[in-house]
Amino acid sequence: MPDRDAAVDSQPADGRVGGGDHPAPIIEGRNIVKRFGGAVAVDDVSIAVSPGEIHGLLGENGAGKSTLMRVLAGVLAPNEGAVWVEGHKLDPGDTRAALDAGVSLVHQELSLVPEMTVAENILLGSTPSRSGFINTREQKRIAAEALEEIGVSVDLDEPIARLSVALRQFVEIARAIARKPQVLILDEPTATLTPAETTYLLDMLQRLAGRGLAIIYISHRIPEIFAICNRVTVLRDGRHVTTVDIEDTTPEGVVESMVGRDLQLELETHREDPVLGEVVLSARGLRAPGVNDIDLDVRAGEIVGLGGLVGAGRTELVRAMIGADIRTAGETTITRDGTTKRIASYRSAVAGGVAYIPEERRTDGLALSMTVVDNITLPNRYALSRAHVLQSRKIVDFAKNLAEVVNLRPPEIHRNVGQYSGGNQQKVVLAKWLGREPDVIILDEPTRGVDVGAKAEIHRLIRELADNGAAVLVVSSDLPELLELSDTIHVVRDGQIVGTLARDQADETSVMALASGQTKVDAP
Amino acid sequence: MTNDTSTGTVSAPKSAAPEEHLEEQAFKLSEWMANQGIFIFTAALILFAAVFIDGFVSLPNITDVFNRAAPIGIVAAGMTFVVISGNYLDLSVVAQVATAGVVLIAVSNETSIPVAMLVAVVIALAYGLVNGVAVGVFKANAVIVTLSTTFIGLGLLRWATGGSIYFGPNDGAIRAFGATRIGPLPLAMILFVVVTLLLSFVLTRTTFGFMVRSFGSNREATRLSGVSTPWVVIGAFTVTSLAAMLGGFVLAAFSNTAVSAMSDGYDFAALAAIIVGGTSVFGGRGSVLRTLLGVVFVSVLTNIMVLSGLGFGIQQMAIGLLIVLAVSVDALARKATGI
Repeated sequence: MPDRDAAVDSQPADGRVGGGDHPAPIIEGRNIVKRFGGAVAVDDVSIAVSPGEIHGLLGENGAGKSTLMRVLAGVLAPNEGAVWVEGHKLDPGDTRAALDAGVSLVHQELSLVPEMTVAENILLGSTPSRSGFINTREQKRIAAEALEEIGVSVDLDEPIARLSVALRQFVEIARAIARKPQVLILDEPTATLTPAETTYLLDMLQRLAGRGLAIIYISHRIPEIFAICNRVTVLRDGRHVTTVDIEDTTPEGVVESMVGRDLQLELETHREDPVLGEVVLSARGLRAPGVNDIDLDVRAGEIVGLGGLVGAGRTELVRAMIGADIRTAGETTITRDGTTKRIASYRSAVAGGVAYIPEERRTDGLALSMTVVDNITLPNRYALSRAHVLQSRKIVDFAKNLAEVVNLRPPEIHRNVGQYSGGNQQKVVLAKWLGREPDVIILDEPTRGVDVGAKAEIHRLIRELADNGAAVLVVSSDLPELLELSDTIHVVRDGQIVGTLARDQADETSVMALASGQTKVDAP
Repeated sequence: MTNDTSTGTVSAPKSAAPEEHLEEQAFKLSEWMANQGIFIFTAALILFAAVFIDGFVSLPNITDVFNRAAPIGIVAAGMTFVVISGNYLDLSVVAQVATAGVVLIAVSNETSIPVAMLVAVVIALAYGLVNGVAVGVFKANAVIVTLSTTFIGLGLLRWATGGSIYFGPNDGAIRAFGATRIGPLPLAMILFVVVTLLLSFVLTRTTFGFMVRSFGSNREATRLSGVSTPWVVIGAFTVTSLAAMLGGFVLAAFSNTAVSAMSDGYDFAALAAIIVGGTSVFGGRGSVLRTLLGVVFVSVLTNIMVLSGLGFGIQQMAIGLLIVLAVSVDALARKATGI
């Protein structure tokens, strides 16, 4: 296990990293510093990658991985330091120059044009033309070549919008490959892939590296790193922690470098026998686009998990359930104190005690240009006003109290939410709903893009809510999370519940088997 | 001011990319200008005028500047709601101001002032509802919708009036309002300040104003927080319409006349004041008080040009240039905050 302090010190001042006799690097970032306003995202980090090497880049969210990669690819200009490719210094922040030098970045967020075809997308930005007219034949030839190189077959004339998430990801990689890169940078390419698709991608990368391509691979999934990488670099809080050959380290060692403390990776314990009350949230015969005849109950004090693959229809299901999107058939009811009410619209759901924490907190959960106080006030505005006039003092006390409950760090409630990290933003989303003391809480990917510490705190809050008698419905693609939190897990595939697992029956294998359609287990 | 370059590392060569620093400074400058610029610039402009422009510092000139700014100031204060709600603007204020002015004089000549005002209120509510439903419920583009309602409104007005000019009675209350002063302060100017303060209160302190700002910052997050967002949009357009009506009353009272062409250019003038004041056309950020400052700035600038003998063409050019500058600063500032 590497001593991380020693590892920090072992980075020589000339910017060369790592020991051993590696071949000359093709790409080098030397002493990169990147600031955004006052915040230092990358602080004096150097990285070097050789041809044929797969270099893993690890770190918690906000560690600066994506920023560093965007600097290497010329998307961002560093404040200090420079990028060298084959001994030539690149113009800072010149994406074109980086591309010409052979550095291709596969973006984390998909950057394809949905209306355009596969071929058009692969050649986007470098469309072959003759005197201003697009050379369609050449376009298709290059696209086909790139797809063949990565071993994916897909119709070149198919619009991107009609492809699955996984195929889009592969088209994105083909797009990078079509530029004949020497360095390929992938930023969490497997985040939305199934296990089988992931294996396929990892094999593909090893094949490409075998042909001399230098690959930088960012992932949160440590087994993937250990499966394909030759070396890893770990960043923490924008700083370089260590760069080691993969055979000189262990998964535990890497995790310790990432979090900077001894972290017990043991599973958090389940709640002590939850006390389940009556059914609070109930859906019958629910249909909506992507949702196919769902019956679902959640009891007071119960945490129900919805497992399944990305695109299985879980988000659509919960949104249709509470009226956030239209439903075509079926109904949802909420029962409180013996009275049952139909949910006619999203607003009636909220009025009836539903809290919905959406999947995309930046676009759906928060008003980023407003303060923490404002965001917390939004769903609680009537409780915090008299005759429609907001009561400032009451609002501040209310927000301060909730910021404390969710442990917002730093607890500066007059800051814009956009300035907070992902984990703290998610805490604000929780805070704004906790103020309403909801009876039903629906959380869609509650800890996506959230660091380890905040994740544990969010889990604690979810458990407390259930312990206090709320009915909780959680959608999560993070299997350990789903298994940890849920009292019951429904697995969704193609908009249907294909299996229900009590918590003592559920493990990663049984959930994945149902999710991927390998077996069908009947509800006990 | 910029002392943020040291990271404390000895080994790091300070090979900063100059163009990046320039860009970063441009961002910082634009953010500062979008936030604080209007305060400094307004003060500087007034100071400049006081020192260099003959005849600027005199009570009659200053009260005249503010008094003349009253109708456009009231319209702009109201339209701030639509801009902050993220729906760009309400071009139909042109038709609304003229309609309110004509209704006030023409209808009161036939009946009485209260009846005329009531008719005008009904018309204002109708404008708010039509614009608001098209934009808020059907999600139609606000620029196109309000450009169309301008056509509908002005067309209707021209058809109904045949383009005639209406005069109020010489001893009527309308004329009296336009001419009355309390001490040195014209009544119209006082109304302008009162309306501004009232709308500022509504925007900053009431649940409705809060929803308008929140909707402008993020529509979907606001909807998912249980807000009935179509009503927020209808409300914002209705506030604008009621302010446009008041602006029309004041404008008609000034000359005791009304005609369908009386409010030409009001759409752009109101927008100029709002944008120059630093309210973001992207929604969510801004205030009615900023619009007040924007009105002051544009009015003083115009007054300086008039007193310097610059023609209308030059004035128009200057205002156009000012807006291009202001929206560019707005866009840069938005990029700088990274949201």
